[in-house]
Amino acid sequence: MIDARLECGARAGGLLSRAAMLIVGLALFALSGCASTPKSYVVLLPSPDGTVGKVIVSGARGEQVLDKAGQAAATDGSAIAAPPGQPQLDKDFSATIAARPKLPVRYLLYFSTGTSLTNDSLLLIPQIIAEATSRSSIDISVIGHTDTVMTDAYNEQLSLGRANAVVELLKAKGLNANAHVSSIAIESHGERNLLIPTPDNTFEPRNRRVEVSIR
Amino acid sequence: MRYPILLILLLTALLVILDARADDLPIGYVKTLVGEASITTAGTKLKADVGSPVYQGSLLQTGSKSSMGVTFKDETVMSFGADTTFSVDEYLYAPAQGKLKLGSKLTKGSLNYVSGVIAKLKPDAVSITTPSGVIGVRGTQFLVKVEE
Repeated sequence: MIDARLECGARAGGLLSRAAMLIVGLALFALSGCASTPKSYVVLLPSPDGTVGKVIVSGARGEQVLDKAGQAAATDGSAIAAPPGQPQLDKDFSATIAARPKLPVRYLLYFSTGTSLTNDSLLLIPQIIAEATSRSSIDISVIGHTDTVMTDAYNEQLSLGRANAVVELLKAKGLNANAHVSSIAIESHGERNLLIPTPDNTFEPRNRRVEVSIR
Repeated sequence: MRYPILLILLLTALLVILDARADDLPIGYVKTLVGEASITTAGTKLKADVGSPVYQGSLLQTGSKSSMGVTFKDETVMSFGADTTFSVDEYLYAPAQGKLKLGSKLTKGSLNYVSGVIAKLKPDAVSITTPSGVIGVRGTQFLVKVEE
Protein backbone atom coordinates (compact mmCIF):
# COMPACT_ATOMS: atom_id res chain seq x y z
CA MET A 1 0.00 0.00 0.00
CA ILE A 2 2.73 2.44 1.09
CA ASP A 3 4.72 1.71 -2.07
CA ALA A 4 1.78 2.46 -4.30
CA ARG A 5 1.01 5.68 -2.44
CA LEU A 6 4.63 6.81 -2.68
CA GLU A 7 4.63 6.10 -6.38
CA CYS A 8 1.32 7.88 -6.78
CA GLY A 9 2.50 10.91 -4.76
CA ALA A 10 5.94 10.94 -6.36
CA ARG A 11 4.55 12.17 -9.66
CA ALA A 12 3.34 15.34 -7.97
CA GLY A 13 5.87 15.41 -5.13
CA GLY A 14 9.07 16.28 -7.01
CA LEU A 15 12.38 16.30 -5.17
CA LEU A 16 11.26 16.05 -1.57
CA SER A 17 12.86 14.00 1.14
CA ARG A 18 11.47 10.52 1.54
CA ALA A 19 9.63 11.34 4.76
CA ALA A 20 8.18 14.58 3.41
CA MET A 21 7.22 12.82 0.22
CA LEU A 22 5.35 10.20 2.21
CA ILE A 23 3.33 12.88 4.00
CA VAL A 24 2.71 14.84 0.82
CA GLY A 25 1.92 11.63 -0.94
CA LEU A 26 -0.60 10.59 1.67
CA ALA A 27 -2.18 14.03 1.60
CA LEU A 28 -2.40 14.00 -2.19
CA PHE A 29 -3.75 10.50 -2.06
CA ALA A 30 -6.49 11.60 0.31
CA LEU A 31 -7.27 14.83 -1.56
CA SER A 32 -7.02 13.75 -5.17
CA GLY A 33 -8.54 10.33 -4.75
CA CYS A 34 -5.42 8.97 -6.45
CA ALA A 35 -6.27 5.32 -6.03
CA SER A 36 -3.68 2.77 -5.11
CA THR A 37 -3.53 -0.55 -6.89
CA PRO A 38 -2.92 -3.47 -4.55
CA LYS A 39 0.16 -5.60 -5.14
CA SER A 40 -1.91 -8.64 -6.09
CA TYR A 41 -4.87 -8.04 -8.35
CA VAL A 42 -6.99 -9.32 -11.23
CA VAL A 43 -8.04 -7.28 -14.30
CA LEU A 44 -10.75 -8.36 -16.72
CA LEU A 45 -10.01 -7.95 -20.45
CA PRO A 46 -12.25 -8.52 -23.46
CA SER A 47 -11.85 -11.98 -24.96
CA PRO A 48 -10.00 -12.13 -28.29
CA ASP A 49 -13.39 -12.51 -30.04
CA GLY A 50 -14.46 -9.14 -28.54
CA THR A 51 -16.95 -10.50 -26.01
CA VAL A 52 -16.50 -9.83 -22.30
CA GLY A 53 -17.02 -12.70 -19.90
CA LYS A 54 -17.01 -12.76 -16.14
CA VAL A 55 -14.54 -13.43 -13.35
CA ILE A 56 -15.39 -13.99 -9.69
CA VAL A 57 -12.61 -13.18 -7.24
CA SER A 58 -13.17 -14.43 -3.71
CA GLY A 59 -10.97 -14.45 -0.64
CA ALA A 60 -10.81 -13.52 3.04
CA ARG A 61 -11.70 -9.88 2.29
CA GLY A 62 -14.86 -10.56 0.31
CA GLU A 63 -16.02 -11.42 -3.19
CA GLN A 64 -15.96 -9.28 -6.33
CA VAL A 65 -17.65 -10.02 -9.63
CA LEU A 66 -15.89 -8.47 -12.61
CA ASP A 67 -18.00 -8.34 -15.77
CA LYS A 68 -16.84 -5.17 -17.55
CA ALA A 69 -13.57 -4.82 -19.44
CA GLY A 70 -10.95 -3.00 -17.38
CA GLN A 71 -12.59 -3.77 -14.02
CA ALA A 72 -10.19 -4.97 -11.34
CA ALA A 73 -10.22 -6.53 -7.88
CA ALA A 74 -7.61 -7.46 -5.30
CA THR A 75 -6.91 -11.20 -5.23
CA ASP A 76 -8.10 -11.31 -1.59
CA GLY A 77 -11.60 -10.38 -2.76
CA SER A 78 -11.53 -6.74 -1.68
CA ALA A 79 -12.72 -4.02 -4.04
CA ILE A 80 -10.47 -1.53 -5.81
CA ALA A 81 -11.77 2.05 -5.86
CA ALA A 82 -10.42 2.88 -9.32
CA PRO A 83 -9.04 0.36 -11.81
CA PRO A 84 -5.27 0.45 -12.47
CA GLY A 85 -4.26 2.82 -15.26
CA GLN A 86 -2.50 1.86 -18.47
CA PRO A 87 1.02 2.72 -17.14
CA GLN A 88 0.48 0.34 -14.22
CA LEU A 89 -0.86 -2.42 -16.49
CA ASP A 90 2.05 -1.98 -18.89
CA LYS A 91 4.55 -2.21 -16.05
CA ASP A 92 2.95 -5.32 -14.59
CA PHE A 93 1.84 -7.18 -17.71
CA SER A 94 3.45 -6.06 -20.98
CA ALA A 95 5.91 -8.99 -21.05
CA THR A 96 3.18 -11.40 -19.94
CA ILE A 97 0.85 -10.27 -22.72
CA ALA A 98 3.68 -10.36 -25.29
CA ALA A 99 4.28 -14.03 -24.40
CA ARG A 100 0.71 -15.03 -25.28
CA PRO A 101 0.76 -17.83 -27.85
CA LYS A 102 -1.08 -17.44 -31.14
CA LEU A 103 -4.68 -18.54 -30.60
CA PRO A 104 -5.62 -22.04 -31.79
CA VAL A 105 -7.44 -22.38 -35.12
CA ARG A 106 -9.99 -25.01 -36.13
CA TYR A 107 -10.94 -26.29 -39.57
CA LEU A 108 -13.86 -28.48 -40.61
CA LEU A 109 -13.30 -30.81 -43.55
CA TYR A 110 -16.29 -32.52 -45.18
CA PHE A 111 -16.57 -35.84 -47.01
CA SER A 112 -18.45 -36.76 -50.16
CA THR A 113 -18.36 -40.52 -49.71
CA GLY A 114 -16.41 -42.84 -47.41
CA THR A 115 -13.04 -41.25 -46.73
CA SER A 116 -12.96 -38.94 -49.79
CA LEU A 117 -12.95 -35.23 -49.07
CA THR A 118 -15.24 -32.85 -50.93
CA ASN A 119 -13.51 -30.60 -53.46
CA ASP A 120 -14.06 -27.52 -51.28
CA SER A 121 -12.46 -29.23 -48.33
CA LEU A 122 -9.50 -30.42 -50.43
CA LEU A 123 -8.81 -26.75 -51.14
CA LEU A 124 -8.46 -26.13 -47.38
CA ILE A 125 -5.50 -28.50 -47.05
CA PRO A 126 -2.88 -26.00 -48.32
CA GLN A 127 -4.37 -23.38 -45.94
CA ILE A 128 -4.00 -25.74 -43.00
CA ILE A 129 -0.37 -26.48 -43.95
CA ALA A 130 0.32 -22.73 -44.29
CA GLU A 131 -1.21 -22.01 -40.88
CA ALA A 132 0.78 -24.86 -39.29
CA THR A 133 3.99 -23.67 -40.92
CA SER A 134 3.46 -20.08 -39.75
CA ARG A 135 3.70 -21.17 -36.11
CA SER A 136 6.95 -21.91 -34.29
CA SER A 137 5.62 -25.08 -32.66
CA ILE A 138 2.29 -26.85 -33.07
CA ASP A 139 0.32 -29.76 -31.74
CA ILE A 140 -2.65 -30.97 -33.73
CA SER A 141 -5.81 -32.86 -32.98
CA VAL A 142 -7.75 -34.56 -35.75
CA ILE A 143 -11.24 -35.80 -34.84
CA GLY A 144 -13.33 -37.89 -37.24
CA HIS A 145 -17.14 -37.88 -37.33
CA THR A 146 -19.95 -39.51 -39.34
CA ASP A 147 -23.65 -39.00 -39.87
CA THR A 148 -26.15 -41.51 -38.43
CA VAL A 149 -26.49 -43.73 -41.51
CA MET A 150 -25.28 -47.31 -40.77
CA THR A 151 -24.46 -48.84 -37.36
CA ASP A 152 -22.55 -47.29 -34.47
CA ALA A 153 -19.71 -49.78 -34.83
CA TYR A 154 -19.40 -49.18 -38.58
CA ASN A 155 -19.32 -45.42 -38.01
CA GLU A 156 -16.63 -45.66 -35.31
CA GLN A 157 -14.43 -47.32 -37.94
CA LEU A 158 -15.45 -44.91 -40.69
CA SER A 159 -14.72 -41.81 -38.61
CA LEU A 160 -11.35 -43.22 -37.64
CA GLY A 161 -10.69 -43.88 -41.32
CA ARG A 162 -11.60 -40.29 -42.12
CA ALA A 163 -9.31 -38.87 -39.42
CA ASN A 164 -6.45 -41.09 -40.63
CA ALA A 165 -7.07 -40.10 -44.25
CA VAL A 166 -6.79 -36.42 -43.33
CA VAL A 167 -3.56 -37.00 -41.39
CA GLU A 168 -2.08 -38.92 -44.33
CA LEU A 169 -3.10 -36.16 -46.72
CA LEU A 170 -1.59 -33.44 -44.50
CA LYS A 171 1.64 -35.42 -44.26
CA ALA A 172 1.70 -36.07 -48.02
CA LYS A 173 1.30 -32.32 -48.63
CA GLY A 174 4.32 -31.58 -46.45
CA LEU A 175 2.99 -30.99 -42.91
CA ASN A 176 5.88 -32.61 -41.04
CA ALA A 177 8.48 -31.47 -43.55
CA ASN A 178 7.55 -27.80 -43.11
CA ALA A 179 6.07 -27.38 -39.62
CA HIS A 180 7.43 -28.11 -36.12
CA VAL A 181 4.88 -30.68 -34.97
CA SER A 182 5.02 -31.75 -31.30
CA SER A 183 2.21 -34.27 -31.65
CA ILE A 184 -0.77 -35.34 -33.75
CA ALA A 185 -3.66 -36.76 -31.71
CA ILE A 186 -6.23 -38.75 -33.71
CA GLU A 187 -9.70 -39.31 -32.28
CA SER A 188 -12.75 -41.09 -33.63
CA HIS A 189 -16.17 -39.97 -32.41
CA GLY A 190 -18.29 -42.01 -34.85
CA GLU A 191 -21.86 -40.70 -34.78
CA ARG A 192 -21.68 -39.73 -31.08
CA ASN A 193 -20.91 -36.05 -31.66
CA LEU A 194 -23.20 -34.69 -34.35
CA LEU A 195 -22.71 -31.14 -35.59
CA ILE A 196 -26.34 -31.12 -36.80
CA PRO A 197 -28.58 -33.19 -34.49
CA THR A 198 -30.57 -35.78 -36.49
CA PRO A 199 -32.51 -38.98 -35.83
CA ASP A 200 -30.78 -42.31 -36.50
CA ASN A 201 -30.21 -43.36 -40.15
CA THR A 202 -30.26 -39.79 -41.45
CA PHE A 203 -28.06 -38.74 -44.34
CA GLU A 204 -26.51 -35.40 -43.33
CA PRO A 205 -23.43 -34.17 -45.23
CA ARG A 206 -22.59 -31.61 -42.51
CA ASN A 207 -22.11 -34.41 -40.00
CA ARG A 208 -19.69 -36.29 -42.28
CA ARG A 209 -16.63 -34.35 -41.18
CA VAL A 210 -13.18 -34.19 -39.66
CA GLU A 211 -12.22 -31.42 -37.27
CA VAL A 212 -8.60 -30.31 -37.41
CA SER A 213 -7.38 -28.17 -34.52
CA ILE A 214 -4.01 -26.42 -34.86
CA ARG A 215 -2.71 -25.31 -31.47
CA MET B 1 -19.03 -64.87 -3.46
CA ARG B 2 -15.29 -64.42 -3.87
CA TYR B 3 -15.35 -64.08 -7.60
CA PRO B 4 -17.36 -60.82 -7.77
CA ILE B 5 -15.00 -59.29 -5.23
CA LEU B 6 -11.97 -60.44 -7.21
CA LEU B 7 -13.54 -59.09 -10.37
CA ILE B 8 -14.18 -55.72 -8.74
CA LEU B 9 -10.59 -55.61 -7.47
CA LEU B 10 -9.29 -56.46 -10.93
CA LEU B 11 -11.47 -53.85 -12.59
CA THR B 12 -10.40 -51.26 -10.02
CA ALA B 13 -6.75 -52.09 -10.64
CA LEU B 14 -7.35 -51.82 -14.38
CA LEU B 15 -9.06 -48.45 -13.96
CA VAL B 16 -6.16 -47.21 -11.84
CA ILE B 17 -3.74 -48.31 -14.56
CA LEU B 18 -5.82 -46.68 -17.30
CA ASP B 19 -6.09 -43.53 -15.21
CA ALA B 20 -2.33 -43.43 -14.68
CA ARG B 21 -1.86 -43.84 -18.43
CA ALA B 22 -4.24 -40.97 -19.13
CA ASP B 23 -2.23 -38.82 -16.73
CA ASP B 24 0.90 -39.54 -18.73
CA LEU B 25 -0.40 -37.75 -21.81
CA PRO B 26 0.57 -34.12 -22.25
CA ILE B 27 -2.22 -31.64 -21.53
CA GLY B 28 -0.48 -28.79 -23.31
CA TYR B 29 2.71 -27.57 -24.90
CA VAL B 30 5.03 -24.60 -24.51
CA LYS B 31 4.56 -22.28 -27.50
CA THR B 32 6.58 -19.19 -26.60
CA LEU B 33 9.64 -18.69 -24.43
CA VAL B 34 11.87 -15.75 -23.56
CA GLY B 35 14.78 -16.30 -21.17
CA GLU B 36 14.74 -19.21 -18.73
CA ALA B 37 11.87 -21.40 -17.59
CA SER B 38 11.38 -24.87 -16.19
CA ILE B 39 8.69 -27.54 -15.98
CA THR B 40 8.72 -29.87 -12.97
CA THR B 41 6.61 -33.01 -13.32
CA ALA B 42 6.51 -35.83 -10.73
CA GLY B 43 9.66 -34.50 -9.07
CA THR B 44 11.69 -34.15 -12.27
CA LYS B 45 12.67 -30.62 -13.22
CA LEU B 46 13.35 -29.98 -16.89
CA LYS B 47 14.43 -26.85 -18.72
CA ALA B 48 11.49 -25.61 -20.78
CA ASP B 49 11.79 -25.14 -24.54
CA VAL B 50 9.31 -24.25 -27.26
CA GLY B 51 7.53 -27.56 -27.86
CA SER B 52 8.03 -28.92 -24.31
CA PRO B 53 5.03 -30.89 -23.00
CA VAL B 54 3.09 -29.90 -19.88
CA TYR B 55 1.33 -32.57 -17.81
CA GLN B 56 -1.37 -32.64 -15.16
CA GLY B 57 0.49 -31.78 -11.95
CA SER B 58 3.30 -29.90 -13.71
CA LEU B 59 4.86 -26.95 -11.92
CA LEU B 60 5.83 -24.14 -14.31
CA GLN B 61 8.44 -21.60 -13.27
CA THR B 62 9.91 -18.64 -15.11
CA GLY B 63 13.13 -16.81 -14.23
CA SER B 64 13.77 -13.08 -13.98
CA LYS B 65 13.37 -11.20 -17.28
CA SER B 66 11.69 -14.34 -18.67
CA SER B 67 8.27 -15.26 -19.98
CA MET B 68 6.52 -18.36 -21.30
CA GLY B 69 3.31 -19.16 -23.18
CA VAL B 70 1.43 -22.46 -23.03
CA THR B 71 -1.54 -23.68 -25.10
CA PHE B 72 -3.64 -26.45 -23.55
CA LYS B 73 -5.53 -29.26 -25.31
CA ASP B 74 -8.88 -27.55 -24.80
CA GLU B 75 -7.50 -24.35 -26.41
CA THR B 76 -7.03 -22.51 -23.11
CA VAL B 77 -4.12 -20.15 -23.69
CA MET B 78 -1.95 -18.92 -20.84
CA SER B 79 1.19 -16.83 -20.65
CA PHE B 80 3.39 -16.08 -17.69
CA GLY B 81 5.62 -13.11 -16.95
CA ALA B 82 8.90 -13.03 -15.03
CA ASP B 83 9.46 -14.81 -11.69
CA THR B 84 6.24 -16.76 -11.93
CA THR B 85 5.31 -19.99 -10.20
CA PHE B 86 2.20 -21.72 -11.55
CA SER B 87 0.89 -25.27 -11.28
CA VAL B 88 -1.81 -27.19 -13.10
CA ASP B 89 -3.16 -29.37 -10.32
CA GLU B 90 -6.18 -30.81 -12.06
CA TYR B 91 -6.86 -31.02 -15.78
CA LEU B 92 -9.64 -33.10 -17.29
CA TYR B 93 -10.67 -32.70 -20.90
CA ALA B 94 -13.05 -35.39 -22.12
CA PRO B 95 -16.09 -33.45 -23.39
CA ALA B 96 -17.84 -36.62 -24.64
CA GLN B 97 -17.89 -37.98 -21.07
CA GLY B 98 -18.60 -34.58 -19.53
CA LYS B 99 -15.26 -34.69 -17.72
CA LEU B 100 -14.06 -31.10 -17.63
CA LYS B 101 -11.84 -29.50 -15.02
CA LEU B 102 -9.05 -26.99 -14.89
CA GLY B 103 -7.79 -26.41 -11.36
CA SER B 104 -4.61 -24.37 -11.11
CA LYS B 105 -2.54 -22.31 -8.73
CA LEU B 106 -0.65 -19.05 -9.25
CA THR B 107 1.75 -18.78 -6.30
CA LYS B 108 3.58 -15.70 -7.56
CA GLY B 109 4.22 -13.71 -10.69
CA SER B 110 1.80 -12.84 -13.47
CA LEU B 111 -0.61 -14.63 -15.79
CA ASN B 112 -2.57 -13.74 -18.91
CA TYR B 113 -5.42 -16.23 -19.25
CA VAL B 114 -7.63 -16.78 -22.32
CA SER B 115 -10.37 -19.34 -21.77
CA GLY B 116 -10.78 -22.43 -23.91
CA VAL B 117 -13.41 -25.12 -24.38
CA ILE B 118 -13.51 -26.22 -20.71
CA ALA B 119 -14.67 -22.77 -19.56
CA LYS B 120 -17.19 -22.61 -22.44
CA LEU B 121 -18.76 -26.02 -21.77
CA LYS B 122 -18.61 -25.98 -17.97
CA PRO B 123 -18.06 -22.48 -16.61
CA ASP B 124 -17.58 -23.44 -12.98
CA ALA B 125 -14.92 -26.02 -13.86
CA VAL B 126 -12.12 -23.46 -14.11
CA SER B 127 -10.43 -21.99 -11.06
CA ILE B 128 -7.14 -20.31 -10.31
CA THR B 129 -6.07 -20.29 -6.69
CA THR B 130 -3.77 -17.53 -5.43
CA PRO B 131 -2.21 -17.22 -1.95
CA SER B 132 -5.03 -14.86 -0.91
CA GLY B 133 -8.09 -16.17 -2.74
CA VAL B 134 -9.69 -17.99 -5.65
CA ILE B 135 -10.49 -16.71 -9.15
CA GLY B 136 -13.49 -18.35 -10.75
CA VAL B 137 -13.68 -17.99 -14.53
CA ARG B 138 -16.81 -17.69 -16.64
CA GLY B 139 -15.22 -17.68 -20.08
CA THR B 140 -13.11 -14.64 -20.78
CA GLN B 141 -9.65 -13.15 -20.84
CA PHE B 142 -8.00 -11.63 -17.79
CA LEU B 143 -4.70 -10.69 -16.21
CA VAL B 144 -3.62 -11.53 -12.69
CA LYS B 145 -0.55 -10.50 -10.73
CA VAL B 146 0.55 -12.02 -7.42
CA GLU B 147 3.24 -10.30 -5.42
CA GLU B 148 4.37 -11.56 -2.01
